[in-house]
Amino acid sequence: MEEPTLRIRELQKDRVDFVMSGVDLAFANSLRRVIMADVATVAIDMVEIEVNTTVLVDEFLSHRLGMIPLTSTNCEEGMRYKRDCPCLGFCRYCAIVYEIDVRCTEGEMNVTSEHLTMIPPDQWDHDEEASAAEDILAKRGKNFGVPAGPATDPDPQRKPISLVRLRKGQALKARCIARKGIAKEHAKWSPCSAVGFEYDPHNKLRHTSYWFETDEKAEWPLSKNAIEEAPPGDVFDFTAVPEQFYFDVETTGSLNPQEVCMRVRLPVPACAWKLTMQCRVWQSCKISLLR
Amino acid sequence: MEAFRKEREEREADRAAWEALGLESSKWSGKNLSDPIKAVEDKWLLLPAFLKVKGLVKQHVDSFNYFVDVDLQQILKANNMVSSDVDPRFYIKYTHISVGPPERADPDQGESPERFSVTPHECRLRDTTYSGRIVVNVEYIRGTKKIIRRGIEIGRLPIMLRSNKCVLTGKSEAELARMQECPLDPGGYFVVKGTEKVILVQEQLSKNRIIVETDPSKGVVMASVTSSTHERKSKTYVLTKKGKIYLKHNSVSEDVPICIVLKALGVQSDKEILQLVCGHNEDYREAFAANLEDAARLGVFTQRQALEYMGARVKVNRPRPFGAPGGGMQGPRRPAWEEAMEALATIVLAHVEMEGMDFRPKAVYVAVMVRRVLMAMKDEKLVDDRDYVGNKRLELAGQLLALLFEDLFKKFNQDLKMNIDKVLKKPARTEEYDVLKALTFHAQSEGITQGFVRAISTGNWSLKRFKMDRAGVTHVLSRLSFISALGMMTRITSQFEKTRKVSGPRALQPSQWGMLCPSDTPEGEACGLVKNLALMTHITTDVEEEPIVRVAFMLGVEDINLATGPEIHHPDTFMVNVNGSIVGLTRQPGRFVSSFRKLRRAGRISEFVSVYINHHHKTVHIAADGGRICRPMIIVEKGLPRVTEEHIKLLKRGSVTFDDFLRKGLVEYLDVNEENDSYIALYEREIVPATTHLEIEPFTILGAVAGLIPYPHHNQSPRNTYQCAMGKQAIGAIGYNQFRRIDTLLYVLVYPQQPMVKTRTIELINYDKLPAGQNATVAVMSYSGYDIEDASMINRASLDRGYGRCQVFRKNVTLIRKYPNGTFDRLADAPIDEETGKPPDKYGALQADGIAGVGEQLRPGDVYINKQSPANANDNSFNANILDSSNASIVQYKNTPMTYKSPVGGIVDKVMLTETENDQTLVKVLIRQTRRPELGDKFSSRHGQKGVCGLIINEEDMPFNDQGIKPDVIFNPHGMPSRMTVGKMIELLAGKAGVLKGKLQYGTAFGGSKVEDMSQILIENGFNYAGKDYLTSGLTGEPMEAYVYFGPIYYQKLKHMVMDKMHARARGPRAVLTRQPTEGRSRDGGLRLGEMERDCLIGYGATQLLLERLMISSDAFEINACQECGLLGYNGWCPLCKSSKRVAKLTIPYAAKLLFQELMAMNVVPRLILDDA
Repeated sequence: MEEPTLRIRELQKDRVDFVMSGVDLAFANSLRRVIMADVATVAIDMVEIEVNTTVLVDEFLSHRLGMIPLTSTNCEEGMRYKRDCPCLGFCRYCAIVYEIDVRCTEGEMNVTSEHLTMIPPDQWDHDEEASAAEDILAKRGKNFGVPAGPATDPDPQRKPISLVRLRKGQALKARCIARKGIAKEHAKWSPCSAVGFEYDPHNKLRHTSYWFETDEKAEWPLSKNAIEEAPPGDVFDFTAVPEQFYFDVETTGSLNPQEVCMRVRLPVPACAWKLTMQCRVWQSCKISLLR
Repeated sequence: MEAFRKEREEREADRAAWEALGLESSKWSGKNLSDPIKAVEDKWLLLPAFLKVKGLVKQHVDSFNYFVDVDLQQILKANNMVSSDVDPRFYIKYTHISVGPPERADPDQGESPERFSVTPHECRLRDTTYSGRIVVNVEYIRGTKKIIRRGIEIGRLPIMLRSNKCVLTGKSEAELARMQECPLDPGGYFVVKGTEKVILVQEQLSKNRIIVETDPSKGVVMASVTSSTHERKSKTYVLTKKGKIYLKHNSVSEDVPICIVLKALGVQSDKEILQLVCGHNEDYREAFAANLEDAARLGVFTQRQALEYMGARVKVNRPRPFGAPGGGMQGPRRPAWEEAMEALATIVLAHVEMEGMDFRPKAVYVAVMVRRVLMAMKDEKLVDDRDYVGNKRLELAGQLLALLFEDLFKKFNQDLKMNIDKVLKKPARTEEYDVLKALTFHAQSEGITQGFVRAISTGNWSLKRFKMDRAGVTHVLSRLSFISALGMMTRITSQFEKTRKVSGPRALQPSQWGMLCPSDTPEGEACGLVKNLALMTHITTDVEEEPIVRVAFMLGVEDINLATGPEIHHPDTFMVNVNGSIVGLTRQPGRFVSSFRKLRRAGRISEFVSVYINHHHKTVHIAADGGRICRPMIIVEKGLPRVTEEHIKLLKRGSVTFDDFLRKGLVEYLDVNEENDSYIALYEREIVPATTHLEIEPFTILGAVAGLIPYPHHNQSPRNTYQCAMGKQAIGAIGYNQFRRIDTLLYVLVYPQQPMVKTRTIELINYDKLPAGQNATVAVMSYSGYDIEDASMINRASLDRGYGRCQVFRKNVTLIRKYPNGTFDRLADAPIDEETGKPPDKYGALQADGIAGVGEQLRPGDVYINKQSPANANDNSFNANILDSSNASIVQYKNTPMTYKSPVGGIVDKVMLTETENDQTLVKVLIRQTRRPELGDKFSSRHGQKGVCGLIINEEDMPFNDQGIKPDVIFNPHGMPSRMTVGKMIELLAGKAGVLKGKLQYGTAFGGSKVEDMSQILIENGFNYAGKDYLTSGLTGEPMEAYVYFGPIYYQKLKHMVMDKMHARARGPRAVLTRQPTEGRSRDGGLRLGEMERDCLIGYGATQLLLERLMISSDAFEINACQECGLLGYNGWCPLCKSSKRVAKLTIPYAAKLLFQELMAMNVVPRLILDDA
C-alpha cells in the first residue's frame, strides 16, 4: 500500500474537507469515530446558581450553558481531566470558572454567551501548592476557554449564542465551572457537529446496491467526490479495496478544524502507522499518534 | 391621523364593494353554461372566519350564554310566585333575574371596587369557585303594602370561562397575560373548588319526534314519542300486538286499543277514525279495520264510554303537584272519565299543545302515529333508524345547568314557603312579617350555590323531578397537553349502556359526515359511544317557535285543526311540522320550503332554523329546537357557488366576517336532516345543475385531534384512531401560563417544536403555538436487535442535546388548620440534632418558616413542609386557656411533616401560601423533576405508531449519510407493512423536502403538499427522489448494503415513562390483617405469583418452590396445634385440653390461621388432624 497521505481540499474556519488515502477502511472509520467522540474539549459542567428569576428553570439554563462551545485550543495538553488532577474540588489546571451576572433593568434583553465572563484563577484557586504545574497553563492556546462567538471570530456577522431572554426586573447570577471532557461522556464535549465520510463514490466496489425504479444513474445523483475518481470501467475488479476516503468535518467552534483532526489519539500501536500529510494549506502537520 | 382616516376610507370602500358584489354576480357576464366552474381559491379561509364566531368550544359558551341570558328568565317566569297557604293575601313574586360578573366570595378589606374582582387563575390557585351572584328583583306583601326590592342575591352560579359573564371575554392578549391566562385557552369549562371541570356534551334521542321501530323477532312495530315540556317528561308508544294497534303509556296500567284512545280524544265515528288514520288508502284501511272491531267488541262507542274505559286503567297515584293547596292530603277520587280526561290532557303526548279542552290536535297526532305504524307494517323500509344523527340531540352545559337550576330554585322556593307558613301561622306577631329577611336568610344557607358546586364537582346530576340520576356528567379537564384539553371540549358521550352488545350505536353512521369526526373515538369499552365534534360543527340553541309558525301560515300553510282525514292524507298534501308538532298542511311543499329558505337566507328567520321535506312521510319538517348538530356550507345557485374570488378577497383583507357571508346568503347552516335533503358537491368540478350546496373544505370532516395527523387519507383508518388517543398523551406545551399553574401533575416538554409537516387544522387550533413533540431525523432501518416489537433506537448525542427532555411538576398540598377547640397547626423550623448541633440532613431544604425554599434540591425522604399538629386536635372540648397566647406552650404538638417520596430527587419549583374561602391557610408546594429519555420511555409518531426506546446508541455508532447527518431515532421497518401507515412515509418525504427548502410543508387531509412536488425538491437538492439515502455504518465505515428511508418525522413523547412505573422489591411492608406482602407499586408491594403461575409449578411438581413462594416468602406463621382436640393452642399449651402433652408446632400461612379463627368466630370448628410425615 502506498504511503498514507492526506490532501486538504477545502479549509474554512469551521470546516475542513480532506481526502485521505493510503490507509484502510478500518483506520479511516476509526479516525472518523475518534474525531466525533474522543477529542477532548472544555465545556461547562457544573453551574452554581445564585439568582435565577428568568423564565427558564435552573436545569434548563444549566443545560443551555453546558452546550456553549468554549475555545479549547490544545486542551489535550493544556488542561487536566478532573480524575487526573490531585486537587480536591477544582483548580486552575482542571477547571475554568465563569461568572454570569445579568439583570434586566429596562425593556427586554437577550442573555448570550457574551455575558459569560471568565474569572482569573487567582480569584478562586488559592491552593496553588497542591497541584502546581505551571507548564500546563502555558500550553493552552489563544483565547482558551472563551465562548465561541464574536470574541473568537473576526467575522462581523457572527452572533453570540443566545441563552435566555429577560424582561425588566429579571436577573440571572451563576457561577459556571468548565471542565475537560470527551463526547463519549456527553455530546457537549464534541468538537464537531457533523462528520461527513465517504469512499468509492461510484460504487465501484459494490459495497452497496442502489435502489432504483428504472435507471440507477438518473435516480442517484453522484456526490461531489465523484470527480476525484475515474468512473467505473466495464470489468468489476473483485480484488479492489477502498483507497480514498473523503472527509468533511464541521466543527462547533470549540476547536478549529485542523486541531480536531490533529488531536486525534488513535488507540493503535504507534509503530503500525506513520502518517505524513501533504498539505496545501499547512506545510507539514502531523497527526500525532500517541500511545 | 391621516393613516387612520385612510384606513377607514378603505374599509368603507370594501364594505361598499361587498354590498355591490351580489348584484353583479347574478348576471351571466358572457359565460357559457358549459364553461367549467373555476375553483374558488382559498375558500378554506372561510374556516378561520367561522372559527372566530362558532365551532369547537363555542357551542359550550353559546349554550351557557343562552342559559344565563334567556333560559334563566324563562325558568323564573315559570316559577315566579310563592304564596302562603295560611295567608291568602300574601305572596312574593320574582320579577327579574340576572347573573352578575364573577366575584370573590371573600372580598378584600376596604372600599375599593376592585376588591371583589377575581380571575379564573386565582380560583385555580386558591381552590375556590369561579362564580357570580344570581340576583333577583322581588315584589311582595308586607302587611298590606306591596314592596318592591331589587338586587337580592339568592345564590352563586359557577361561571363558564370565556362566556358572556366571564372576565376574560373580549380581552386582549396583554390583558389576558395580566390575568395570567393563556390567550389560546379555549374556555368553555368551569373552575369549581380550584379544579377545572368540563360538562361533557351528552348525546340523546331527539325529543318530541316520532320514532318508528320494529322488533322483527316478535313482529312488533312501535312508534314512540318522548314528550318533553318544561313541566313534564313522558313517553308514549303506539304499538302492534297480534296485528292490532294499542297505545301504551306509563300512566295507563294496560295497553289501550287505539280506537278507544281516538274515541276518548273525541273522534267518535268509526268512519272518521278510519279516514283520520288511513285516508283513502285501501291497504291501510284493511290493516286497520280489525282495530275498529276491537272497540265495538268492548262496547265502547262514544267518547264518554272511551273515557270511562281508560279512566278505569289510569294510575291515579300521581304525586301531588307542588304548591297545590291541601297540604299533603290526597284529594277525593274523581270519576274515572275525569281522570282519563286529565291524563289525556296533561300526561299523554304532553308536548302537543291544546287550546282549552279541544283534543283535536292530540287526536291527529295519535292518528299520525298510527299511520306511521301502518306504513312500517306495509313497508319495512319506513322504519326509522335511531342511530341516524338527525334523530339525535346534543345536550350541553347550558341545558344541564338549566335543569339543575330549575330543581334548585323550586327547592329554594319550597323551603321559603315552609318558612313563610311557619311564621304566618303564629297568631300574634309583634311586627309585620317581612319576607325579605327569610329570603336573604335562605340565600345565606347556600342551597343553590352548594347545589351547583356539588353537582359540578361530583358530576352527579340527580334531579328527582325529572327522574334524572346521571353520574359522570362532569370531568376534570385533562391538562396533559393542549390537545388533550381541546379534545375534551369537543367530546360527546352517549347515554347508551356500555355493556349492551348491539353494534348499531357504535357503528360509523353515514349521516355523521362532516358533523362528527370519523376517527376520534376511544378504543375498547366506549368505542363508538364517545364521539368528537368535527371542525366546523355547531350545536344549536333553542329558537323561539311562535314566529316560525306564523311565518309558516303566512307562506300558505293551512291549519291542521281545520282539516279532515282525507284532506290530511291526500296524495298531494304535505304535512308541516314545527319542532315535531303538526302545524298544518300544504299542497306545494317545494315552493313552501324554498320560500322559507329564502327568508332564512335573507336573515328574517334565525340561521339555525332548518327546513326539509321528507318524501316518504310526505311531511315538511321545520326544526328550531336546541341541540341539533349543524355546519355551514356554501350555497350553490344555478350551478354556480355563490361565494366567489371577490368575496374571499375581501375576507382576506379582513373587511368582512363570517356573519357577513351568512347575512348575504352566501353560506348557510345545514343540520343533519336538511343536509340529507340537499345535493352537496365536494368540489366545484362536481357541481351539476341539481347541486344545492358546496362543501367549504373536505378536511373539516375530521375533528381537532384527528386534524393533527399529516396525510391521514393515506393511512389505514384504525391508525388515525390510535393517534387520536395518543395525541392526548403527548407531552408538550399546555398553555402560555403553564409555569404559573399549580396542577396535581403537569408534564412539559423542554424544547417543543412545531411539526415540519403541518396541516391547516394545526394552524387553526394553534397547535403550532403550543406543540407537543419534536421533529426527529428518522432512519427507517433495523439496528442492533434491540428494536424488535416496535422498539426504537435513540441517538445518545440527541438526548444530550435535549431531544425528548421533559419536566414533571407535582403538586403537594397541605392545610394549616384551625381546630374547633381553639388549637391550630403550625409550621416549625428545622430541629437541631443534639449530637451535631446542626439540623439533620433531611431538613436541609427547609427555611426558617418551615417550608422548603424555592430552588432547593430535595432528596428522597427530605422534609419540605415541617408541619406540626396539636396532639389533641380532635378533642372538641373548648379550652379557654389555649386561646390565651401566653399559654400557647401548654399545647402539645406532634410532628406531621410532608416528606418527599419519589425515588428520584426533585427541586422545589414554587411555594404558594394562601387562604381558602373558609379561612384555613393553604400551602401548595410544586416539585419539579427534569427527565431525559431513558430506556423504556414511550414515543410515538403521529400515525398511531407507538414504541418504546429500546437502546440508546452512541453518536459515533450511528449510521450517517455522506454529509455526516446522523439520525435521532432509528425506526424498525417491520412496523410499516402490516400497519399500512403510508401517511408516515409521505410525512417523512414532505418533511425532508421542507428541510431542504427551508419551508414548512402541509399534510392536510385530502390535500397537502403533493408527493411529486416533494420528490422534485429532493432531486433539486441532490437527493434521491424517493427519500432513500445511502447510509454508511457508523461501526464499520462500510456503506449499508441497502438504501435507507431517511428524513424528519414529528415524534411525540408520551406520558408513560419508565421512571413512574419501574418497581421491584426483595423485602418490604406487609398488610396488617393477613401479614402478606402489600400490593401495588405505590405501597412498595410484592410481585404476585398468581394463580396461573401457581398452576405451572403444580404441574411441574416443584413442591418446594411452591411452598417457598406461597408460604415461606409470604406469610409463614408458627402455630401450636393440639393433636388431641385439633384446635389451636398457644405457647405449647392447649387451653381446651388444659394440657401441653400433645401440642405440636407447625408452620402454616398466616392467612390459614386467620381463616381458622374466623371460622371459630362463626361457630364452625376447624380441627387439625396431624400426622407424622
